[in-house]
Amino acid sequence: MSSVPLTAYLMLALILFCIGLFGALTKRNAVIVLISIELMLNAVNINLVAFAKYSINPGLTGQIFSLFTITVAAAEAAVGLAILIALYRNRQTVNVDEMDTMKR
Amino acid sequence: MNAWLLSILIFSPLLGVLVLMFVPSNDEKSIKWLGVLGTLFPLGIALVVLSAFKMGGEGLQLTEKFSWISYEVFQSKGQVSYPIFYEVGVNGLSMVLILLTAVVSVLAAIASFSIKQNWKSYFILFFLLEMGMLGVFAAQNLFLFFIFFEITLIPMFFLIGRWGYLEKEKAAYSFLIYNGVGSAILLIVFVALFMKTGTMNFEQLAYTFSLPQAELNQLFITKGFKMGMLIALLVAFAVKLPVFPLHSWMVRVHVQAPPAIVMIHSGILLKIGAYGVIVFGAGMFPDQFKSLAFVIGLFGVINLLYGAFLALTQTDVKRVLAYSSVSHMGIVLIGLAAGNEFGMTGAVFQVVSHGLISALLFFLVGALYERSGSSELSAFGGVAKRMPILAGVFLAGGLASLGLPGMSGFISEFMAFLGLFEKMPVLAAVGTLGLILTAVYVLRAVLAITFGAEKELHEARDLTSSERVPAFVLLAAILFIGIYPAWLSDMLRPTLDAILLGLGG
Amino acid sequence: MLQMSWLIPLFPLLSFILLLLFRKSKSESTAWIGVLLTGISLVMSVGVFLAVWQGEGIKTEGTWFQIGERAITMGFEVNPLNALMLVIVSLVSFLVHLYSKGYMHGDERFPVFFAYLGLFSFAMLGLVVSPNLLQLYMFWELVGLGSFLLIGFYYFKPEAKAAAKKAFVMTRIGDVGLFIGMVLLFWQVGSFEYDEIFASVKNGDISSGMLTLTALCIFVGAVGKSGQLPLHTWLPDAMEGPTPVSALIHAATMVAAGVYLVAAMYPLFQASEAALTVVAVVGGLTAIFAASIGLMQKDIKRVLAYSTVSQLGYMMLALGASGYVAGIFHLTTHAFFKALLFLAAGSVIHAVHTQNIEEMGGLWKKLRITGPLFLIGALAISGVPLLSGFFSKDEILASTYADGKYGLFWLAVIAAFMTAFYMFRLFFLVFTGEARGNEKGVHESPSVMTFPMIVLGVLAVVAGYLNTTWFGTFLSDYLAQGPVELPHGDHHGPAWIPLVATLAAALGIGLAYLIYQKGTLSRDWITRSFPSLAEVIYNKWYIDEGYDQTVVKGTRGLSKLGVLFDRYVVDGLVTAVTNGVQGLSKIGSRLQNGQVQSYGTAAIFGIVILLLIVALTGGYFS
Repeated sequence: MSSVPLTAYLMLALILFCIGLFGALTKRNAVIVLISIELMLNAVNINLVAFAKYSINPGLTGQIFSLFTITVAAAEAAVGLAILIALYRNRQTVNVDEMDTMKR
Repeated sequence: MNAWLLSILIFSPLLGVLVLMFVPSNDEKSIKWLGVLGTLFPLGIALVVLSAFKMGGEGLQLTEKFSWISYEVFQSKGQVSYPIFYEVGVNGLSMVLILLTAVVSVLAAIASFSIKQNWKSYFILFFLLEMGMLGVFAAQNLFLFFIFFEITLIPMFFLIGRWGYLEKEKAAYSFLIYNGVGSAILLIVFVALFMKTGTMNFEQLAYTFSLPQAELNQLFITKGFKMGMLIALLVAFAVKLPVFPLHSWMVRVHVQAPPAIVMIHSGILLKIGAYGVIVFGAGMFPDQFKSLAFVIGLFGVINLLYGAFLALTQTDVKRVLAYSSVSHMGIVLIGLAAGNEFGMTGAVFQVVSHGLISALLFFLVGALYERSGSSELSAFGGVAKRMPILAGVFLAGGLASLGLPGMSGFISEFMAFLGLFEKMPVLAAVGTLGLILTAVYVLRAVLAITFGAEKELHEARDLTSSERVPAFVLLAAILFIGIYPAWLSDMLRPTLDAILLGLGG
Repeated sequence: MLQMSWLIPLFPLLSFILLLLFRKSKSESTAWIGVLLTGISLVMSVGVFLAVWQGEGIKTEGTWFQIGERAITMGFEVNPLNALMLVIVSLVSFLVHLYSKGYMHGDERFPVFFAYLGLFSFAMLGLVVSPNLLQLYMFWELVGLGSFLLIGFYYFKPEAKAAAKKAFVMTRIGDVGLFIGMVLLFWQVGSFEYDEIFASVKNGDISSGMLTLTALCIFVGAVGKSGQLPLHTWLPDAMEGPTPVSALIHAATMVAAGVYLVAAMYPLFQASEAALTVVAVVGGLTAIFAASIGLMQKDIKRVLAYSTVSQLGYMMLALGASGYVAGIFHLTTHAFFKALLFLAAGSVIHAVHTQNIEEMGGLWKKLRITGPLFLIGALAISGVPLLSGFFSKDEILASTYADGKYGLFWLAVIAAFMTAFYMFRLFFLVFTGEARGNEKGVHESPSVMTFPMIVLGVLAVVAGYLNTTWFGTFLSDYLAQGPVELPHGDHHGPAWIPLVATLAAALGIGLAYLIYQKGTLSRDWITRSFPSLAEVIYNKWYIDEGYDQTVVKGTRGLSKLGVLFDRYVVDGLVTAVTNGVQGLSKIGSRLQNGQVQSYGTAAIFGIVILLLIVALTGGYFS
């Protein structure tokens, strides 16, 4: 069990985070952007859990925290999707690069 | 009572703001009268201050000092505290300028009767402006000075931008930008001075900088630092004065702002520049100031001639007067450059006298604009026929501006040049060319309006009784200073002597 | 009496103030205020003069204001020279006030005219009693103001406006010279006081170069005021003012102030041979130059104006040739006969309503008082023996000759000939022959106008006996009491000089008689013989045009250049800076495209860079 080192978890989380970051910054479709954000959150979760397990005095704090994150992520996805639907109704598109109202 | 007198004076315009809050904004008549009353109140207090002021007394009078802000910094030598006080006081120079401010404000408030809209916000801004100006002259430390200096900028911006003429917005912006740059430089200088010396008080700063170089080295103050500070200060105040080539904003403001505001602007606000150069430049860095004297004198002569040459062919009387202000501010520089008692006194006299004269002339131009809807020279002619009093006062103002003896302009020109002739006779001789040019452009503008064949104006009534008050009061003041300059020079002498002591005669 | 002499200038000032208050009054009796108050001044001046004649004098000063340790003083001084001037000024002023009562009859701004006259008289009297240069300078400018206001009295006439402006500006040019001279002297001497200046000059505290420089600067002031070459052009134009003004200001008093100034500062000039020579040369050239222009003018007042310029040149010549007394003497006599001529000319203009001599003629019979008085004036100015002009002119010629300035002497003789010629050309054209214009209803002026002329007429005859070799040199004895050490006493040159002068006058009168009265010589024979020369003289040597082309155009061009410079260079630099800032901010604002993703990218890059720095430097930023 303890044969998997901390570095492996962290590496996985890093890769996952980078994929998520890349997706969030480059994809045009808002749904995919949302999914990418979920990926990044999950990378964080992995980190939290890994540190909870491997730190000097292991405890449950990290795991509980990751539960919070999952909850928040769910809520965020819900809100995000709701915004997306509202946007789609207004503008008939979910393309991120057409959303430039911040410019004005 | 005396302990609080100056603070009461500085903040007295706020009473007007307070009262105006309770007046409905469409009640034109009471707002205007409250506007005048609100400026009369500071004038009254200023007169009380004058009576409490000991003529010819040395140093600061009526000082107030309270601790205000203080913070501590850990440095290599341990914990150092940097206190900032609220400190005000008057000496002869600031007393004169405070009086000028109070008087011109009242007259400008009367001149504001021609404002057509939004009277309430106009007068509230007007009062804030007056507070700022009074504060600038009474402040005795850099921090307070800077705050009041900034307070004058903001109301001024709105007053120009909202109640001005056609291109008022542009004028307001260029006013703000130029002066913003100026005050940014000022801020940097002030902070630098504060960090080096740990004090903001004028007198302490002057004392610190007068220490021998060996002691200054311990404070890491080099000669180069002093010179740099002085040049930065001069540039900052050169924007305000204004000095060629930083004058274009001022011409724009003079042309676009409402006449009452121009009275204040050219009457007092420009003088902050001169005040700053005297107090900070000559007062704090006398040695460096002396070594820059030639440059200052050169700029003075350039200003004088440049303004005069440009005023010669302008077709708009406001532009003529604006360039004439540029030209007259050159005389202030000339006096300062001389650095002797005549020059210094001449410079301050010019500050006061130009304040009065330009207030008078702009007031009359405003009155003419009221009657004709134009300020082009070609729109007027033979005004003397229908409006003899207006024409007469205008002519008198013009003559004062060109330095006719018996009026204040002569004393200042005479003394500034007398001073410069001692130090730089050749430069001064070149500068006297300006005296001729001044006569030419002033007469050209004044005669084009008052003399000649009469032209139709859509309303040809002479000065009304409410307009006569500012006109006659200003003219009387101009004549008074011209005939009895001792009043002013006695008030100024101790202050200027102290500064001259630093300059070494 | 003498202690009260400071009051003399104040009465006209009072008249000025009172009359300004009565500005709107329609009643012409307001004139009596001015007449009365200047009358008081006159009486007091005469009293002062008599006291000074007895050898008294006074000087009182008080501090005006103090600068540092130096006190600037004001006060009054009465010495022989200025006591004499006091009498001349207040007398002519009084007479002109009286005359104007008739001349200005019916004018809309009648009280204002008298107010201005009062202001001028105040300034002129104040100038005369000044004990120091600064005070003199102040009143010097104020007389300029009075002159300006009175020239521009008919403010609605464009010519009057232009003339007033020109007069002010041209004299200002001179004033600046005076200003520079005064200030330079101050830094040499440490005072504006005449006495201290003279003491320094005497002690040799001032280097000779500086002496010459200051004397010349002061002389520039005199040139401006007295209409000498090359600043004379304003004086003829100043004739746009009402004629009494021309008599008072532009003949008798203000223009003589330049001569007075040189006389008052005489010890300074005496100390510099070069300065005296310049004064003499300028005076001599002006005398002949202005006389030559006077030959061809058609406007009665302009002829007199050029004649004034020419006579002032004479006075300067006298002063420059060490003829101190001669200069003052001529100033005195000239004040009387020239004021007489102007008033008489005014009377003529009053009668015929034109100033063009071509439109006059045959007025001798109609103006039975004015005519003879004009003749007296003309004879006096021409230097006909036994009249005042003869004696003073003779003395000038004598002192010029005695001083060894032979060239200038002959110039002056020729100028005397020209003077006689143009004066009698004027006389014959105006008073004899046939009426050429509409002269219906021409009548003699009222007695309020003729009385002053008669007084002046008497003076124009007798004033010459103030200083003659025959009856006694009262004037030079009197002036010798003053602060000025009179130059070498032998200013009575060879006996043939009066003969030459008389001959020149007789020739001039005779020539004028032949041409304009008898018609023996055709009127245009000179014009025909030297057409180009006549053209040049008729156009006043093109001086005005020359100034227009050079100075005026140059200044205006410079000004235009300045406007362009201001617009394109000064404002252009500012615009360049603002454009630069705007361009930068445009680039900056392009980064703000509203795409959350690009903002995110930027943020990520930022944090990566920060992390890299932290990682590479081990956690510290510096």
